Amino acid sequence: MAQIEQSSGGKKKKGAQKKMHIHVDFTPMVDMNMLLITFFMLCTTMIKSQTLSIALPAPPDPEQERTQDNSEVVAETKAITLIIDTERDSEGNVVTDAEGNTNDVIYYYCGFEPTITDTKQVVFNDPEKGLKVDNTVKAEKFLGNDGSKVQGIRKVLHDRNVEVLNKLESFKDQWRRGKITDEEYQEIARQVRNDSTFTNRPAVTVKATPQASWQSVISALDEMQINQISQYRIGTFTPTDSLLIVDYKRRNPAE
Amino acid sequence: MGKIKVKRKSTLIDMTAMSDVTVLLLTFFMLTSTFLQKEPTQVVTPPSVSTQKIQSSNVAQVLVATSANDKDTPKVYISVIGEANPDIPEEGTYGDLQPGAWGSENLRKEILKNAIALYMECGGKDPGITKDDIEKFSKVATFGVPIMKIHEFFTLDQTKQDEWLSDLDRFDSGIPLINYLNTKEKDANGNYVKTNEFQIWMRAIFNATPYDETLQTLNYKMRKTGEGIAVKADRGTSFHTVNKVLENLRTIKMNKFTVMTALKSENE
Repeated sequence: MAQIEQSSGGKKKKGAQKKMHIHVDFTPMVDMNMLLITFFMLCTTMIKSQTLSIALPAPPDPEQERTQDNSEVVAETKAITLIIDTERDSEGNVVTDAEGNTNDVIYYYCGFEPTITDTKQVVFNDPEKGLKVDNTVKAEKFLGNDGSKVQGIRKVLHDRNVEVLNKLESFKDQWRRGKITDEEYQEIARQVRNDSTFTNRPAVTVKATPQASWQSVISALDEMQINQISQYRIGTFTPTDSLLIVDYKRRNPAE
Repeated sequence: MGKIKVKRKSTLIDMTAMSDVTVLLLTFFMLTSTFLQKEPTQVVTPPSVSTQKIQSSNVAQVLVATSANDKDTPKVYISVIGEANPDIPEEGTYGDLQPGAWGSENLRKEILKNAIALYMECGGKDPGITKDDIEKFSKVATFGVPIMKIHEFFTLDQTKQDEWLSDLDRFDSGIPLINYLNTKEKDANGNYVKTNEFQIWMRAIFNATPYDETLQTLNYKMRKTGEGIAVKADRGTSFHTVNKVLENLRTIKMNKFTVMTALKSENE
């Protein structure tokens, strides 16, 4: 381990102190340190997990339930309903492509729920109801931005909430350049998205089919954050919704 | 032929510098490390753009796992983390200890006592928990067995306990979500409102600390900001399954909570 070497110079003066070179071999020490580092590296979680806040509607009051229907009625012009579905294989595992992306489909319609006839036929834009908004069911996917271009379901929501997003654009720019802090930006964003002077702000209902994955629902809630939508709620999947999906698939068999 | 004299060179390499570096690295990792919590199963949280950090103290984490053979039944495990640097609890008016921002162990003891009291109040049998069980309960990070099985669970050794929790196919791993208990409240038709063990645990956690903003108690975080509850579920689990747990939270008016996610950038 440690060696003491005598200097082996040729001539030696008598009486001169012997020069000692001390070599301590650090190799075992380094070995041990490396082991410990490996241990700590494997046991550490460097990145703290993130969280997303969710507020579900308060539980129905039993007193109220008896007297009135507790389903909230949202103005027709504002309402958007998203029905999220995830592709799964026969064993119930989520199907992923080579890059690990899941195949989520978002069926959506604006305004009121399409009419279902007695024979389980779906009727869009029921003339009897005098609808103002086209409630045809369409489908989109979760797509990331292509450069600065928004696409997929994000484009749909973006276009509906464009007033709020335009107003925030300048603040966002300041925030990116570091002129305002993160907290200040979040506070401004909160105020702007709750600003009731923007009358066209959408109210989104997110529904999920039984096979929709947790990830796809979180992605949908993410889209609300990205598009600064303040009014959204998680709705219950109903038989009508499954009829709408079946109907959509029948009309668009290519997909 | 003259022999070529090969000069003998010492092969000793000075490892001192190397050693210095490794010690530095080691110190860094030791100081920054927070150990991975032992969990019954590995779950991969879904990606999200949210940058809100998970609370490191005063938080109840609800882990929703599913067995590969039964993807519709959520298995629920709860881990409670108390105050990281608690004040020394004072002996006082409130039971044995002054409530407040408690360390994990004291908090868990209180939770277990609350849970048993609630359980029996709702018509459950006496689960026969001993003082020793309470002591052991305060030491475990994650728990998830039916209340009636707690005593049996703590008679086992550590490895057996871990096996019990990780075996998702066992009927008695995970906190049951079956509504078989009756609360004192009545619904519109005059029947007692049903409850289950998961709801009892969550209420026990809720009641364990007082509402105190300055101390940032668990109760405050659960009631006000919702940061006191963190639901953790795998990205592949169906929403339908996770929602069964969320509905339970909603029923007991804990409709504000957080879900654990992994970071993703906005442009992805």
